[in-house]
Amino acid sequence: MEVPLNARSRREPWPKISIEKLTQSFGDLTVIDRLSLGVADGEFLAIVGPSGCGKSTLLRVIAGLAPPTAGRVRIDGVDVDGPDPRRHLVFQEHALYPWRTVYKNVALGLEIERQKPEKVKRKVAGLLTLVGLEQFAKYYPHQLSGGMRQRAALARALAMEPDVLLLDEPFGALDAMTRLTLQDELLRIWLDSRKTVVLVTHDVEEALVLADRVVIMTTVPGRIREVIPVTEKRPRDRGSASLAALKRTVLGILGIEPVIGNVRVPDTNFSI
Amino acid sequence: MADRVGTAEAVARGGAAGFWHAWLVRILPYAVALLAILAGWQLSALLFPAYLIPPPRKVFSRLIEELGRPAFLVTLGRSFYRLAVGFVLASALGIAIGLLCGIWKFFRRAVRALVSILQSVPPIAWVPLFIVLLGFGDAPIILVIIIAAFFPMTVSVMNAVEQVDGLHLDVARVLGADRAQLVAKVYAPAVVPAIVTGAQVGFGNAWRSLIAAEMVGGVNVGLGWFINFAGEIADMTAVLAGILVIGLVSALLDGLVLERLKRRLLRWKYL
Repeated sequence: MEVPLNARSRREPWPKISIEKLTQSFGDLTVIDRLSLGVADGEFLAIVGPSGCGKSTLLRVIAGLAPPTAGRVRIDGVDVDGPDPRRHLVFQEHALYPWRTVYKNVALGLEIERQKPEKVKRKVAGLLTLVGLEQFAKYYPHQLSGGMRQRAALARALAMEPDVLLLDEPFGALDAMTRLTLQDELLRIWLDSRKTVVLVTHDVEEALVLADRVVIMTTVPGRIREVIPVTEKRPRDRGSASLAALKRTVLGILGIEPVIGNVRVPDTNFSI
Repeated sequence: MADRVGTAEAVARGGAAGFWHAWLVRILPYAVALLAILAGWQLSALLFPAYLIPPPRKVFSRLIEELGRPAFLVTLGRSFYRLAVGFVLASALGIAIGLLCGIWKFFRRAVRALVSILQSVPPIAWVPLFIVLLGFGDAPIILVIIIAAFFPMTVSVMNAVEQVDGLHLDVARVLGADRAQLVAKVYAPAVVPAIVTGAQVGFGNAWRSLIAAEMVGGVNVGLGWFINFAGEIADMTAVLAGILVIGLVSALLDGLVLERLKRRLLRWKYL
C-alpha cells in the first residue's frame, strides 16, 4: 500500500489552518508565546514537546474552546470563534459519556445536528464497522477496554465528517500494543479520507510514523523550536534506519540523550 | 460497606445460590432491626398495663381489622394523595431549579443564599401561616410537603451540576451543542444519580412532614389525623397501629419503589 505524499498538490491558496502570532496566557502565566504555524489542507501534522508546553492548549484554541489572548487562528481564512463540528477535537482521556452505549456515544453529534434517525442509524453502523466495534454497539464505555473506548471516540469524531481532526494524545493512556494497532488504524482512516490532522503526542515514534511534519515545541512559554519534515513513504517501517535517525534527531532537540552510560538504547520505544 | 462487599461477592459467584445469598445479606439487617424493635416493644408491654402499651399481637390484629374498614382506607388514600402530589411537584421543581443553577451562575448564588436561609426552618413551622393563607384542607399540607422535599432535591441536583465533568461539556460543545442541548444531553443525564439521592432524602422528609402536618393541620382525614385522634381518645392500640403503618409503608416505598427506580435509571452503572 504505497501512497505518495500528495498534500502539496491539493494545497489551496490559504493554508487550511493558519495560526498567526498566537499568544495564550492564563493570568500571569504565558503558555503559548507568539506562535505562528500553517497547516496545509490534507496534511498530517504532529506536535511534540515537553509536558506542559501548551500543546493541548493550542489544540483547544484551534478547536474554538478557548479564545486566543492575542493573535489569531484562521481556518480556510476565517477566524475561529467558537467550536464547530467540522473541526473535531478528540481528547486525551476517552471522553465518552458513561450513561450512553457505544452506539449512542457515536450518534451524539448527529443527534445534536438533529439528523433523521434512519440516517443516523446507517452512519453509526458504518462507523462502528470502520473502527471494528460493530459487535459492541450496545455496550457501555466501562465495559470496554481502553483501546476500544478510544476507537469509539474516534468514530464519534468521524461521524461529524470534520475536515480538521485535532487529536490530543489520543493513544497516550493505552498500552504499547494497542497503541501501535490504533496508530495503524488512524493512518488507514487518514489515507482514505485525507482530512487535515493535527496530532499532539508525547510519543516521538508515533509522530514520526504518522506525520508529514513534526513540530517540536519549547518548554513554557510554548514556541516552535523546530519543524522536521518526514518524507518517507507510508506505511513507514518503525524499525527503519532513517526513522531511527530522525528519532535520535528529535530526541536530541528535545534534550533527551538516548544513551545511558555506554549502553545505547536508540531503538527502544522511547517516549517523553 | 461490609454488606456491599458481601453482595458483590455473592453476585460474582452467580447462580441461584448466589442470588439467595445476596438476598439474605440484604434482608438480614432489616430482620434483625425488626426483631429488636418487636422484642423491646413486647418487653415494655409486659411492664406497662395494656391500655398504655398494648402488646404487638394486639396492635397487629387491630391493624388488620382497620385495613378492612373503608374509613381507614379513605384516610390512608388521602395521605398518599397528598404525599404524591407534594412530592412530585417538589421533585420537578427541585430538578428544574437545580439544572437552571448549572447554566446560570448568578441564579446559582441566589438559590444557594435562599436555601441556606430557608432550609433551617422546619417545614411544619409554616402550617399556621399556610392555614390562614389557604384555609383548612389539602392545600396547606401539600405545600408543607413541597417545602420538605424541595430542598434536598434542589441542593443535590445543584451540587451535581457543579461537578459535571468539564471534558464532557467540551465534547458536546465541539459536537456543536447549544445551551439547551448541553442541559438535555450532558447535565441532565449526568445528574441522574443526584436526582435519585435527592428523591430518597426528599421522600423521607416529605413523609415525616406529611404526618406532622396532618396532626396539627386541622384536617379530619389522613394518617396523621388518625394517630392524633386516637391519642385524644386514649386509644393506644390505634396510635401504635398508625405508627406501624408509617414505618412499614415508608420502608416498602423506599426499598421497593425508589430502590428499583434507582437501578432502572442507573442501569449503566450496575451493568
